[in-house]
Amino acid sequence: MLQVHGLTKYFGGLAALKDVSFEVPENHIYGFIGPNGAGKTTLFSAIAGAIQPSAGRIQSRGKDVTGMRPFSLVRSGVVRTHQVVRPFRTMSVLQNVQVAAHFGRRAITRTSAARDYAMDILKWVGLEPVVHVPASALPLGDQKRLEVARALATDPELLLCDEICGGLTATETRNMLDLLRRIRQRGTTIMYVEHDMKAVMAVCDHIVVLNFGQKLAEGKPEEIQNNQEVVEAYLGKATLGGLSRG
Amino acid sequence: MSAITTSRVKSALPWMVLAALAIAPSAGLTANIVRLLFVTLVWVTTSLAWNLLGGFAGQVSFGFAVFYGIGAYTAAKMIDAGIHPLPSFLAAGAMAAGSSLLVGVPTFRLRGPYFAIATIGVSEAVRVIADNLSITGGASGFRIVEHRPFRQLEHYYTALGLAALAVMVSVVIEHSKFGLGLVAIRHDEEAAADVGINPFAYKLWAHAVAAALTGMAGGVYARYAAFIHPHGVFSFQTSVYILLMPVIGGIGTVMGAVLGGVIFGIVEEQLVANFPNVHLLLYGGLLILIILVEPDGLVGLAGRLWRRITRHHGATDVAGPRPDEILRGTGGA
Repeated sequence: MLQVHGLTKYFGGLAALKDVSFEVPENHIYGFIGPNGAGKTTLFSAIAGAIQPSAGRIQSRGKDVTGMRPFSLVRSGVVRTHQVVRPFRTMSVLQNVQVAAHFGRRAITRTSAARDYAMDILKWVGLEPVVHVPASALPLGDQKRLEVARALATDPELLLCDEICGGLTATETRNMLDLLRRIRQRGTTIMYVEHDMKAVMAVCDHIVVLNFGQKLAEGKPEEIQNNQEVVEAYLGKATLGGLSRG
Repeated sequence: MSAITTSRVKSALPWMVLAALAIAPSAGLTANIVRLLFVTLVWVTTSLAWNLLGGFAGQVSFGFAVFYGIGAYTAAKMIDAGIHPLPSFLAAGAMAAGSSLLVGVPTFRLRGPYFAIATIGVSEAVRVIADNLSITGGASGFRIVEHRPFRQLEHYYTALGLAALAVMVSVVIEHSKFGLGLVAIRHDEEAAADVGINPFAYKLWAHAVAAALTGMAGGVYARYAAFIHPHGVFSFQTSVYILLMPVIGGIGTVMGAVLGGVIFGIVEEQLVANFPNVHLLLYGGLLILIILVEPDGLVGLAGRLWRRITRHHGATDVAGPRPDEILRGTGGA
């Protein structure tokens, strides 16, 4: 589905991403973890076209999509959600999703058809009771859900979810993870960034670990949990060494 | 009153205003009042046009005098050359729309207040250039000689037809995919791009439609005035007037743009006549007052009163950040 080769991004002299390569197969949920500043959001921004990579290549279904603008990527089926939700605040929940139905891959022209399609999506994600509420009036959990619903309405092949469970309660997180699994069942491939290890381990088929902009490891969740390098990246080598030396 | 009937009434209001203006001349008004209403209709058109870009798409431009002036001069030159007014007005719109691309391509790379400042620069540059070109007549202006009999009502109904066109275009855009895309851009350009909207292209389109209407309004005005000069049609004051009207009436709504245009058109001359030295100061003060006290303009004020009377607390259907947010460039941040 998605192939990333040698992706590199410099911000001034700082390498936010250094020679990162991986491949996401179709219909999988790929998790991306790493300490703060590891480059996870930069990676997503580069794939979704919000920033231009300094070097490297991104291919979606064999087609080179490196450096494409976000709105063209949407038409190629690559869509992201934002870590900090960005709803169209005073538009209703329905209108928010309707916009995506109009301008996504389906490119629905008639407003009534777009509204119907948006309504189906909202029912599917469980936001039906609040369709006419202004997006800004929703509690955070529903806003996160709306962010996903809006991305879904563009009919993506690859959905990039950036911390969609951040700040949610345990129950809300469980529901969100269920939603992710259901999205995958529809045939959408998912790339998922999250700080909550339990959430990532529970839902992902495969995990890529980033540290200081580089790929540290990748593998199945249980492999990652037992990877010494990964544990050190999170807890720090010096701390462990210092303890053992007394 | 249910939400649906309320919105029906709201969408009928602009047409009711135009209908009143259509029958007004038959009420035996003096030629001077008809002239005043003619000017008002021209202002209503520009107000609606500005609202497409400034209200729907949230791009505050101080540069609409450019299109008004280009339209005025295009129509003036063609009518003076003996061409029928109608194709002259269409050409005025086309010229203005074409020039909107020249203005828009560089300035739409800027956001919020930076875009606004850039449009001031463009507007002033165009005025200075127009002032020094022989084709405009320079500072001494240009007199239009039309070899047709002058009939005031013909001018009046041309302006009314154009205003009706502007209302129609606004209403169609408001309820279309295009309009929803513009409102999404007003909220958050990045989020809009993330659902597949090309913000740059959409802003250029909205700008072009707005410029075409403004250019035609300039042309209709020029034909009536029969004398135009760069300090009038290209002036910064013209740009401010065009921006002020939708703000008075209620930014981002069709009714607000109409209402603002009507009120401004009727009181503007009185203000200039009574306060010749400070009328610009009054507009500045008014602008600040509206943004601080009632950012949604008269439409917002009316809506608030209406809700107080009927104790109706349903979801508001005004889709957009508040105008003070638009003007400060912080909408959707």
